[in-house]
Amino acid sequence: MSVRSVLTEYLEGAVRTATPLALAAVGELVAERAGVINIGLEGAIIAGAFGAVVGAGIAGVGGGMLLGVLAGLALGLVFALLVVRWRADQIITGTAITLLALGITGTLYRTLYGESGVALSLPTTAPVAIPGLSAIPVLGRALFVQPWPTYVLYVLVPLVTWVLTRTHAGLAIRAVGERPQAASAAGIDARRVQWWSTLFGGAMGGAAGATLVLAQTGTFVEGMSAGRGFIAIAIVVLGRWHPVGAALAALLFGAASALQFVAQAMGWRVPYQLFLAIPYVVTLLVLATASSRAGAPAALGRAELEER
Amino acid sequence: MSHNSITRRFSALCLGVLAACSSSADRNDPDAAAAPFRVALLTPGPISDQSWNGGAYAGLQRIRDSLGAQISHIQTKTPAEFEENFRQYAAQGYALVIGHGFEYQDAAKRVAPSFPKTVFVCTSGRATAPNLGGIAFAFEEAAYQAGMVAGALTKSGTLGLIGGTQLPPVVASFAAFEEGAKRERANARVLTSYIGNWDDVSAAKEQALAQLTQGADVLLQNADAAGLGVFQAVRERKGAVVFGSNANQNGVAPDVIIGSVVIDVPHALLTVARDVKQGGFAGKVYELGMRDDVVRLEFNDQLAGRIPPAVRSRVDSVGAAIRAGTFRPAASDSPVLPASAPR
Repeated sequence: MSVRSVLTEYLEGAVRTATPLALAAVGELVAERAGVINIGLEGAIIAGAFGAVVGAGIAGVGGGMLLGVLAGLALGLVFALLVVRWRADQIITGTAITLLALGITGTLYRTLYGESGVALSLPTTAPVAIPGLSAIPVLGRALFVQPWPTYVLYVLVPLVTWVLTRTHAGLAIRAVGERPQAASAAGIDARRVQWWSTLFGGAMGGAAGATLVLAQTGTFVEGMSAGRGFIAIAIVVLGRWHPVGAALAALLFGAASALQFVAQAMGWRVPYQLFLAIPYVVTLLVLATASSRAGAPAALGRAELEER
Repeated sequence: MSHNSITRRFSALCLGVLAACSSSADRNDPDAAAAPFRVALLTPGPISDQSWNGGAYAGLQRIRDSLGAQISHIQTKTPAEFEENFRQYAAQGYALVIGHGFEYQDAAKRVAPSFPKTVFVCTSGRATAPNLGGIAFAFEEAAYQAGMVAGALTKSGTLGLIGGTQLPPVVASFAAFEEGAKRERANARVLTSYIGNWDDVSAAKEQALAQLTQGADVLLQNADAAGLGVFQAVRERKGAVVFGSNANQNGVAPDVIIGSVVIDVPHALLTVARDVKQGGFAGKVYELGMRDDVVRLEFNDQLAGRIPPAVRSRVDSVGAAIRAGTFRPAASDSPVLPASAPR
């Protein structure tokens, strides 16, 4: 095995690991730009994974993705109801939703599939090579021989950037996240903007969970979201609340994780806990060196839309 | 903060607590006799893992069916939860509380003196007290045999081991596998990767893919629920095979699992529970291995044909020697463990 094949494999692993993180982060980012921080993202991811299992059992990969997105959307709906409609505290509500989702998915899984589960019986998507681009040396395979959710991301990142920076809807989202009162005075329905942004965030969390199941593991395991929701929230900060920044931050995190996989498999005699810490150390370093509040929406996490 | 917002915070918290409680508490009440025999089980992971935790839950059900016990199960994650749930069950008068894994030992040691009427048992544990015991599974006996098969089958000479976290029982099982492999192929190269937890199935798959890229062609996973990701990785890269562990996982991916290092956890738990019910529990460590038929290597009939008969007979004769007490893998006496390795 050549150095080149190890490098290619490493980069492929980095993109695979980054994909669900980036999907979740792009959704969270839109919600945060509208002033809503959804700590329940972890819950949306596990709900999406569970929805994908149920959907894939009924109607294959497409059905799995659809039901995964709907499951994430449903949790986004609950969160929006509590936070946008009734103005409950965002952090506490989000924590409650994550706990709720981790519990409910486990219980439902055992109810529907019994204690033995559905281990590895689900249909999954194979990587699709994009003609031409996949032939680029080294990077081609990593970026253009991936399961289709990765390609969805390639379309979504510029699209969300365009919506946020170039459209009225994007202006409304940013206005509500910065100065909700001023936005309202300008005739923007701040609640409605927050509703739609939060729902989008939930749906993307669901898509991230569905990707874990349908494009990667082909199975469901209770708690398989394994903290990705919280990592995605850190990625939003790391990416300065910009879709391209978030995608790059997710890639950085994926690259650090994949380095850890390769390092252990190469048999480097260093305690494995050090390797496992790499992604987190990288995140901390970047967060510490960039001034963290710069770029954050001014009204982020605020319960009330009006000053009192 | 206004009164209203306190109420909101409180109701949101309640929602979360409610969800957390309903998730895993699974109480079971068949019609009870006058003084019901009650048994509780704490697992570190989901009982749907088809491995370590699933086997324990099957054992709990067998205790219910064979001994007429009332049973309860709860999934716990943090050491604080271990201790709290031990206390809860003991305070409710449970006769036997089982902590399923090495990680429960410290909590059991702290709680046991306060509840002399309850027996605490930790699988893979070696701590003892009048009402505290352990079950030490000689997992490495069958892991050694699996290693022999791996050493004989590998074409690349590279083998892979994937664990959840670096618990002493896991380390011992890996050491035994390597020892067995080197008996068959002295120059075998053995890669070891730890996921860092027991449920990140996607990370487990990536660890396995990285090992397969390095040329590993026979793998052993000891990662409970996350281990499913290892099977998925081996399925996608043709040409390699993998050993399952803790339960017979051969049916999970019959196209790539060549065999499983099985612990008959249900049988072990029933043995201990029977002693407790009959008043014969004596605060000891139950040493259970191949000799007791609690640990064994089970081949997958679909793939077992790939193992040459000569290798098969060498593996069988090692098994016979272990059962006769004339052979022990050196890993059974590894310095990380007091005596024979638990789990």
